[in-house]
Amino acid sequence: METVVEFDGVSKKYSKLSVLEDINLSVRQDDFMVIYGLPSSGKTVLLRLLMGLEDPDTGDIILRGENVRHMPPKIRNIGYVPQDFALIPHKTIFENIAYPLRLMKKSTLEIKPVVERAASMLSIEELLDKLPTQLSGGQKQRVAVARGIVKETQIYLFDDPLAGLDFKLREKLIDDLRRLQEDLAACFIYATSDPIESLTLAAHIAVLHEKTISEIGDPQSIYLNPHHLSTIDILGFPRANLLEGHVFRKASEVWCRAYFLEFPIVTDLGVSTFENPMDVTLAVRPESILKAFDRDKKCWTADIYLREDLGAEEIIYLNIQDSSLTMVNPSSQNGHYDVGDQINICIDPASIFVFEKNTGARIGRGVNNSNA
Amino acid sequence: MPEIRIENLTKKFKDVTAVDDLTFSFPEGKVTCLLGPSGCGKTTLLRMIAGLETPTSGSIYFGAIDLTQLAPRKRNIGMVFQYPVVYRGISVYQNIELPLLRRKIPGNERKQRIEEALELLNLKDQASRDSSQLDNVSRQKVSVARAISYRPDIILFDEPMTNIDANSKVQFSHFFKELSKKLNQVIVYVTHDQTEAMTLADQIALMEDGRMVQCNEPRVLYNEPEEIFGGWFLGNPGMNFIDGRCEQKDGKNLLISSFFRSPLSILTNGFGRQVTIGIRPENIKVSETVFNNAVVANVKRKSITVGGQFLYVIEVDDVEVKAKISAPSRELMDAKSLWIEFPVEHIVLFDENQKRVPADLTYVRK
Repeated sequence: METVVEFDGVSKKYSKLSVLEDINLSVRQDDFMVIYGLPSSGKTVLLRLLMGLEDPDTGDIILRGENVRHMPPKIRNIGYVPQDFALIPHKTIFENIAYPLRLMKKSTLEIKPVVERAASMLSIEELLDKLPTQLSGGQKQRVAVARGIVKETQIYLFDDPLAGLDFKLREKLIDDLRRLQEDLAACFIYATSDPIESLTLAAHIAVLHEKTISEIGDPQSIYLNPHHLSTIDILGFPRANLLEGHVFRKASEVWCRAYFLEFPIVTDLGVSTFENPMDVTLAVRPESILKAFDRDKKCWTADIYLREDLGAEEIIYLNIQDSSLTMVNPSSQNGHYDVGDQINICIDPASIFVFEKNTGARIGRGVNNSNA
Repeated sequence: MPEIRIENLTKKFKDVTAVDDLTFSFPEGKVTCLLGPSGCGKTTLLRMIAGLETPTSGSIYFGAIDLTQLAPRKRNIGMVFQYPVVYRGISVYQNIELPLLRRKIPGNERKQRIEEALELLNLKDQASRDSSQLDNVSRQKVSVARAISYRPDIILFDEPMTNIDANSKVQFSHFFKELSKKLNQVIVYVTHDQTEAMTLADQIALMEDGRMVQCNEPRVLYNEPEEIFGGWFLGNPGMNFIDGRCEQKDGKNLLISSFFRSPLSILTNGFGRQVTIGIRPENIKVSETVFNNAVVANVKRKSITVGGQFLYVIEVDDVEVKAKISAPSRELMDAKSLWIEFPVEHIVLFDENQKRVPADLTYVRK
């Protein structure tokens, strides 16, 4: 599939404040690319650069094979759904959806079928004659999406369109958006700060962290095998456990030590790099912290600080020695834990990822040393 | 401490009925969460108990006392709002002292109660701090300390964690659980967040369109929703609903669906013809090989969800359901189609009025 959007070494500053640095990103024609980052990580700026509402300081943006440097926003032909979906209050839903086409001076004859098609894709046909004030929050959001897709284009940008909606509504709209992208077979670039939304919608995720893209990949690969600390830290719910430690050479092996943990690692870098101990950050996902069984040799006793019941699963917040850990138990049916109870846990070192403390680059991952 | 009882309580705003003929008891010594989507009437109900809204009709009792016409300040109710009510420029200690001074509680008694509230909320170290220096959680804790210091009969919480960040929510929830165990009185807690309700409540009162859908312990509400609404509202994602058909054959009542390999016998009589079959995503059994009563389903897509589990969207005869699978095997990950079964103990049946009907199902062996 053809690449339709490309960022090539793009940086952006506002006076002296750097917002984006050396962004490299290429998006295919039928891609669902999620730009994922914490709030105020620069996601909106990235979309605005592509729209032409901001100019990059350095680097190039290539749109459908053409450098956009001298291309005004008007002719970039990109559909856009902003986060703040302000509808025009005195115009009907039909006219609200038709607005981008009216700006292009299209005739009502041309506009009508396009608006009706967009409305039917979002199941809001029966709302076309109403005014925005007569709609619920979710309906308004759907109108905003419909307005974003009326332009005849193959590139659509979404700036965190579900932020602030209540979560049952999000559940429904996530399904709708996913289906919409399949129906349109278009390129969606979608910014969000919700990890589950990202993992559910994306064909690819670009993690935006400290002004640049720290990792790109399909959701499953980067979730299960992260190569940058920021990915495992923020991409997932609940967030991963991070522990400070260090790695050191021990005969022909490299070992890692942090708090109560000590285990050998397979390095991505080779053994000779570790002549001197190195400060590292360990990351372990909440689902990798397990309830210990009697047969588990190495386990620890932790105090339960809080147990949250999500229905299908439980999140247990633990205090263990001088640190705290979050664990997820996928079955909360039999959970009778409460604040103040104790639990025995174990961690398979193979589920622990080790990153260089300063750069966040991955050094390696643990090895199960049950024979050691 | 007595309970709060509401009888035929109704509140109308112009042509909108926010609370519709509600009769209900809030038991003493328990945390009752009012849960529901925005606009369900939960906040209006809370505000009527507090005296901040006047009911259109109906009554509110505290034990034998009729509160309905009583002014808010005579109700002896403590309330914690979304935004912490804390006076800046005075210390935490003075903040807690204010409502006690207003109630003319004498010096020694006052001091003792403030100490008690500080102790309960783990605020002792911060007692002399200027309250404008506090973070959001501490400010909300001070609001709670003020609300409990004058020993109200009832404590009301109106979405107190709305303005608290994710990390601090854990801290607030922890202290709320400890506090609610120590205070043996009526606590009513309004939230739209199901996790909060499931975590903090002794019982959840689920509301929709001004009426009470169901009130039960959290796990009962989750596992045995009385209506389709409850099955849908709780859970992330909520329950799957598919159509089923009831038939009679050889004097047996049978339930038929393309998701069952063989019909299910229903031991209970009196169904309508069409029913809705409900099952939670985590309760669907899956395997890459055939087993028991499984049918073949196509995998349409899968994605990673809470705690690294996989959410599979699977399809039988053009009907989609979602299945939540933790730690799927390599074979299951690669499968384009798989075998699924609805275990009978996890199936919930609803009639045409969306109400649950007793099921008592078994697979009929072929």
